[in-house]
Amino acid sequence: MLVVPLEMMSTGEQGRVCNLDGSPELVVRLEEMGLREGASVRMVRSGSPCILAINDHRLSLRFDDCATVLVEVTR
Amino acid sequence: MTSAPSPTAGPITVAVIGNPNTGKSTLFTALTGIHSRIGNYPGVTVEKKIAKFQFNDREIRLVDLPGTYSLSPRSLDEMVSVEVLLGRQAEVGKIDVVVCIADASNLERNLYLTSQILDLGLPTVLVLNMWDVAVSRGVTIEAEALSKKLGIRVVPCEAHRHRQIDDVKRAILSAAGQSVISPPRVFPPEFYEEGLRLQSILKGWGDPDVPFYVAERMLLDVGGQVETSFTARFPAQLPDELNCARERLKANGFRVPSAEAKARYAWVRETLTGVLTTPAERPATRSDRLDQWLTHRTWGLLAFAFIMFAVFQSISTFASPLMSYCEMGQQAVGEFVGSWMAPGPFRSLVVDGVIAGVGGILIFLPQICFLFLFIALLEDCGYMARAAFLMDKLMTKVGLSGKSFVPLMSSFACAIPGIMATRTIENRRDRMVTILVAPLMSCSARFPVYTLMIVAFIPNIKWLSGWISLHGILFFGMTFLGAAIAIPIAWLFKKTLFRGETPPFVMELPGYKWPSPHIVLNRVYDRARAFVARAGTLIFATSILIWAASYFPADHSRQYQIEDQIDQMRATVQSELSQQAELEAAQKALPESDAAERTVLDQKLADLQPRLEPLNKLIEEKNAISEHLLETSYLGRVGKTIEPVVKPLGWDWRIGVGVLASFPAREVIVSTLGTIYSLGGDVDESHTGLHHALQNSKWQDGRPVYTIPVALSIMVFFALCAQCVSTLMVIRRETNSWKWSLFTFAYMTALAYIGALATFQIGTWITAV
Repeated sequence: MLVVPLEMMSTGEQGRVCNLDGSPELVVRLEEMGLREGASVRMVRSGSPCILAINDHRLSLRFDDCATVLVEVTR
Repeated sequence: MTSAPSPTAGPITVAVIGNPNTGKSTLFTALTGIHSRIGNYPGVTVEKKIAKFQFNDREIRLVDLPGTYSLSPRSLDEMVSVEVLLGRQAEVGKIDVVVCIADASNLERNLYLTSQILDLGLPTVLVLNMWDVAVSRGVTIEAEALSKKLGIRVVPCEAHRHRQIDDVKRAILSAAGQSVISPPRVFPPEFYEEGLRLQSILKGWGDPDVPFYVAERMLLDVGGQVETSFTARFPAQLPDELNCARERLKANGFRVPSAEAKARYAWVRETLTGVLTTPAERPATRSDRLDQWLTHRTWGLLAFAFIMFAVFQSISTFASPLMSYCEMGQQAVGEFVGSWMAPGPFRSLVVDGVIAGVGGILIFLPQICFLFLFIALLEDCGYMARAAFLMDKLMTKVGLSGKSFVPLMSSFACAIPGIMATRTIENRRDRMVTILVAPLMSCSARFPVYTLMIVAFIPNIKWLSGWISLHGILFFGMTFLGAAIAIPIAWLFKKTLFRGETPPFVMELPGYKWPSPHIVLNRVYDRARAFVARAGTLIFATSILIWAASYFPADHSRQYQIEDQIDQMRATVQSELSQQAELEAAQKALPESDAAERTVLDQKLADLQPRLEPLNKLIEEKNAISEHLLETSYLGRVGKTIEPVVKPLGWDWRIGVGVLASFPAREVIVSTLGTIYSLGGDVDESHTGLHHALQNSKWQDGRPVYTIPVALSIMVFFALCAQCVSTLMVIRRETNSWKWSLFTFAYMTALAYIGALATFQIGTWITAV
């Protein structure tokens, strides 16, 4: 299965978060907001910042070098 | 027969907490109605909102806590919620019940916060709000089963439709009968052992009431607020103890801080098995379809520009007629009061000081209400977050993030809430830069200055049958001038004073919704009240000071003598005066082409003149005396001294004094000019408005003081200056140093002077060409 950094997903792609890495403070904050290992995500608008759908909520994100989120693309 | 009150019949104190955008304020108002007491917790900027209601003969006190994703405090502000919940906040007291509000269509994430709340051991009610939305999206939740699993009451609710509100009230009441609940054990047993160990150590160090939750947070949040504040108390012992405890946990496979989220989400998943069913496919929502356009890189930015333009155009269109009513009212009050008092210092204080000063500023209330109305609407419907998203691209160019956008946008209403809103920016350097440029955003206090200048001096040319006007465009331009200047300034600060990387950007985009009239109007009311209160205190005091400085030390007896004579004379020529007014009105109504009739009217007016002559002579003499008295007053002397400094900006000494006096608050310039011109006699009896006085104001050689370049130079100065004591005080509080207040004042004043100078010089050059 294809594993890519979140930033590389294109609009409409769906997947499952398999790893979060980066500054602990930012990672904890992302987890609290629902972006955690195992969460299924859908890219609503790619780019920087991007818009990501997690269940029914939408997050706008731009990490630059502070965190890497790896996603297993399901389709 | 009356029953004796049961011992539990006192008021029940309930804390309301939940994720942002779950409809918490809607539920709060649905439960309590409109009346709530709003204040601040000491030492922080968190709003304290408490309201009461009666249910089944019990009084229930509701405490609103700020929306949050978690209960792990990273700052003093976030610590407030924890202290309130633990009953360690003296002004709130012991909490009997916690109401945790969750978005039913996003239950998984919302239960993360819920699991932390359950750790407090307090009787809890879980409200599943927006139930109807969840149902429409195919989400089903077995509320009964969830309630059994969690061991607390679970209530589905539709707060925005006022449905199931009584269910929530009943649940609160029955939860209040419960003493404590046993929290679910989401962590491995070793963690609880360490927690108890730490708790007993802290007790031994002299904090006998320290709750388990505090020890839990201290272990879990590396560098969090609990650790910080306790380390400050026990700097010698605590860091070692904590490190050892965390090392022991790590040896047992429990890594702080990453273990918490894993453990809690595992618990959430287990809890929701058999309780929650979600559709395999989440269809695109109405918000998604709107976002296709509104967050689009091109269309979204165009829409943003259009929305901003429409807002300022409509403020100038809708508020102007209301404003002229207010102005008429102010003049009527001034004339009425003036006619009932004998000439003398007291009449002068009331009419020239208070009514011309404070009244002059109150007439801008409609505009300020409209501005706050639009900002509240944009915030409540969910558009603000999209604007932040769109602006992130631009903000990263100057080294900031989209997070800085919302504080800056709120600064368009007022820099004070704007600067306080910078607390959501985690990165210190970014926060500092945002604070320093926030006062450049055009706040509502600049509106009166712009309005006065634009209405008095700029012709109102209209295009497209009145939909676009020169006034509207100028308002728009003045409003965004500060923002445009802020871009290079922020970039400069970020390159010099606060060098560092561009911070990451994480923000939730709430679903679009129709704004709630209740919440919007409440916000407008709060801000309008603050504006009036400011006019009643700060501006009132400054008005009186300005009046006194421009009234004394001169001898006004000759002036009053003439005023008395004028009053008597006026009584004798009453019929002529009213005839003159009628004729003038008829002349005004006459069509341009009717030259014959015009000559007749002119003749009739000329015939009246001989009988009015003595009165006009007296008025002229009075004006000359007033003018002289003003120039020799304390204020006049100061003004003459600073005139060389302000002359290059095209200003006369009156404007210079007005700007000096408006140091406490920008809008004071309007009241100061009102007082100065009223005392100077420029505000004559038939045209009492300040507009008229400004238009007629002359240099000694007879040239008008106010030309279009002068009006623009004044507006540019006020767009860029830092004339606001409250803002400087907030900067001091938020940065913990007067240094930054002084710095802000200095750099903005320099900017304002240079801007005004350039405007006047270039403007004069263009008009000459």
